[in-house]
Amino acid sequence: MFLLTRNALNRFKIRSIQQIRSRQSHENHSQDFHDKYGNTVLASGTAFCVIAWVFIATQIGIEWNLSPVGRVAPKEWNDE
Amino acid sequence: MPPYTNYHAQRSYPMPDEPFCAELNAEQRALKEKEKGSWTQLSHAEKVALYRLQFHETFAEMNRRSNEWKTVMGCVFFFFGFTALLIWWQRVYVFPKKPITLTDEWKAQQLQRILDMKGNPVQGLASRWDYEKKEWKK
Repeated sequence: MFLLTRNALNRFKIRSIQQIRSRQSHENHSQDFHDKYGNTVLASGTAFCVIAWVFIATQIGIEWNLSPVGRVAPKEWNDE
Repeated sequence: MPPYTNYHAQRSYPMPDEPFCAELNAEQRALKEKEKGSWTQLSHAEKVALYRLQFHETFAEMNRRSNEWKTVMGCVFFFFGFTALLIWWQRVYVFPKKPITLTDEWKAQQLQRILDMKGNPVQGLASRWDYEKKEWKK
């Protein structure tokens, strides 16, 4: 029983790999917009997003009020 | 420009009533006549031609993957980054002046005052401060 299902599953896997190969080689004849520019759009959009958010998080003076532990050195306050 | 047809096939409705090519030229009409006879006398190329007359795409073509997700996610990230520019504008033109209690000098003095009062000495802020060495615990 186990050998039967194993052989049946193997046959399915092999056929689908052949289908993937033929699909890849066939569909590249006519490329749509996403094939031509998809990688560029994704990379540039991600880069712009990361740069913009890192910039506003660190450079424009937003007070995050992070924990003083390990960050702030205490200063005398009652010296008058 | 292909003519407007009623053909619409999808995975859940794969065999519509209308064929894909409704208007046939003479050669195609001859082929349809030949189809009415025995199919064993159709060559492989003729069978493929008949299929293409009836259907726009094969199942393999219909179900192919695409790279659309890259364009979609790229635009999503672009607009998310544009939101960062809006927040920058907001910081410059909308945010009020920073309260005195949030300046670095005030925060440092406030910290010293809390450590003097030993605020939260068990698990909180004062427990993280080393009073002998006068520095934060490692």
